[in-house]
Amino acid sequence: MSIVIHKPGLCTTIQDLGRTGYRSLGIGSNGVMDFFAATAANYLVNNAADTPVIEMHFPAAAMQFQSAAIICIAGADFDAHINGNPVRMFQPIYVRQNDALHFDRIINGARVYIGIHGGLKVQEWMGSSSTHLKLKIGGFHGRMLQKNDVLHLQKNIPDVFLKKIAVATAAIRSMYVPSNIIRCIAGPEWNVLDNTAAQLFMHTTFTVTKYADRMGYRLQGVPLMEENHREMVSSAVSFGTVQLLPNGQVIILMADHQTTGGYPRIAGVITADLPRLAQLPINSSMQFKMIAVAEAEEILLSTHQLLNQLKRGCQQYYEAYRSQL
Amino acid sequence: MLLSFGNVINTTVNETVIDLYSLLQQHPFKGYIEAVPAYASIAVYYDAVTVRQNNKNGNSAFEWVKQYVLQLMNRLDEKQFHQPQDCIRIPVYYNGEDLEYIAAQHHITVEEVITLHHSKTYRVFMTGFLPGFAYMGMVDEKINTPRKAQPQMHVPAGSVGIAGAQTGIYPLDSPGGWQLIGTTPLQLFDPSATQPCLLKAGDKVQFVPIDKTTFNATNVHRHS
Repeated sequence: MSIVIHKPGLCTTIQDLGRTGYRSLGIGSNGVMDFFAATAANYLVNNAADTPVIEMHFPAAAMQFQSAAIICIAGADFDAHINGNPVRMFQPIYVRQNDALHFDRIINGARVYIGIHGGLKVQEWMGSSSTHLKLKIGGFHGRMLQKNDVLHLQKNIPDVFLKKIAVATAAIRSMYVPSNIIRCIAGPEWNVLDNTAAQLFMHTTFTVTKYADRMGYRLQGVPLMEENHREMVSSAVSFGTVQLLPNGQVIILMADHQTTGGYPRIAGVITADLPRLAQLPINSSMQFKMIAVAEAEEILLSTHQLLNQLKRGCQQYYEAYRSQL
Repeated sequence: MLLSFGNVINTTVNETVIDLYSLLQQHPFKGYIEAVPAYASIAVYYDAVTVRQNNKNGNSAFEWVKQYVLQLMNRLDEKQFHQPQDCIRIPVYYNGEDLEYIAAQHHITVEEVITLHHSKTYRVFMTGFLPGFAYMGMVDEKINTPRKAQPQMHVPAGSVGIAGAQTGIYPLDSPGGWQLIGTTPLQLFDPSATQPCLLKAGDKVQFVPIDKTTFNATNVHRHS
């Protein structure tokens, strides 16, 4: 009925799809960095999309299951092994009592998720189980997981028997072919960039620096502008907001960002590309591609269609096997 | 989506922003997630997929939400908003480490800095930066002092500060660059409360000076 953490890994937290409704009070949404992987992991274990998942970076946590469970590993490929044997991602896995899960090396990506059939018993705060690290609240005691932590499962024994393994479609897996093109739309202060700066933003390559975490990614590239000290009164920002810093470099705000900021918001990463951005490791290079708002919405719609197909397929699959019990 | 009313700190503009925010909260559309009112802008967060599914007229969700918000704006004139808000009294023990710096900058005494700070009623223009951090204004020109060039690594919860024409209170221990003038014994942010934040945009605030004895007797901050 529980999972024991043997090695905590780097910044392993409990997250769901985020805390909404309190940004106006300065309480940000937090939540998973890669909503696509987290949602897919949940659907593949027949959970609702916003069921809390374990989010891990590399080195990832090593853990042991104290009871049988159905899990799904999705997102970055960190070469997952159970009891020393490699296991596949983006499919339900039936783990037995005492099975040990660990991750060997980075094959691609930056964040991996574990969905657990039935979910985990964790702390909900303001409508979400996402860990708010700054407030030390939500998720597992509001903090990163530590050695010997015990995560309790909501369900004692899986109520489905997996005789046949469902596998996510090629379309789902294709979302995780690494890509460094990050599409965005113009931000409220796009016009702060002069023509040369705009060209540099759109056509040069940026590197994800080591200052890239759940709060934001600082990028390194050709400075877009000379020292820029344009003063702005504080205004709202989002996950994906691209801000121009005074030294001409840019930062992309990520899931744990503050609710408001004062740097010019030159662009916003489209929602559908946040998963791709979340999977860019430190030192990788990336390029921005500007698109229109309507196109960004079309891309988001097709992403949702893909997830909905997966959801329906998984529901049918679990129904079929539940009836055979 | 962001509606901007310019790059200003101005009460009339901010009243419009907060009225629009209240209207949106009272009349949410399908797919509305939340909105964030700031000094002179309001950001509307929405689920584009839901908006598109409910409005199959071919327009983008962005365009639809924009029209919806603009139509709400037209209704702002019809209603009597700006109901007088309760004035929240916040006790402050004026023991801040930057009082002398502010006094020296403006060639006035520390006592004058303190008096100028609490002899005015302030408006909460917005919250942001930290949970429950209220940006209030405007402070008297004679104590208007820019942020520190180098932010401090640790500002204790309850610290009252000045940044330019703004005044604010740190609800949590945090790094910060505001000039510190005092400490409140009140808890600005309580995660276990149904309404975790003491202050919200649109509130009126009056600072009340207290002495060290009163402060120590009422202080809720463990680290202060």
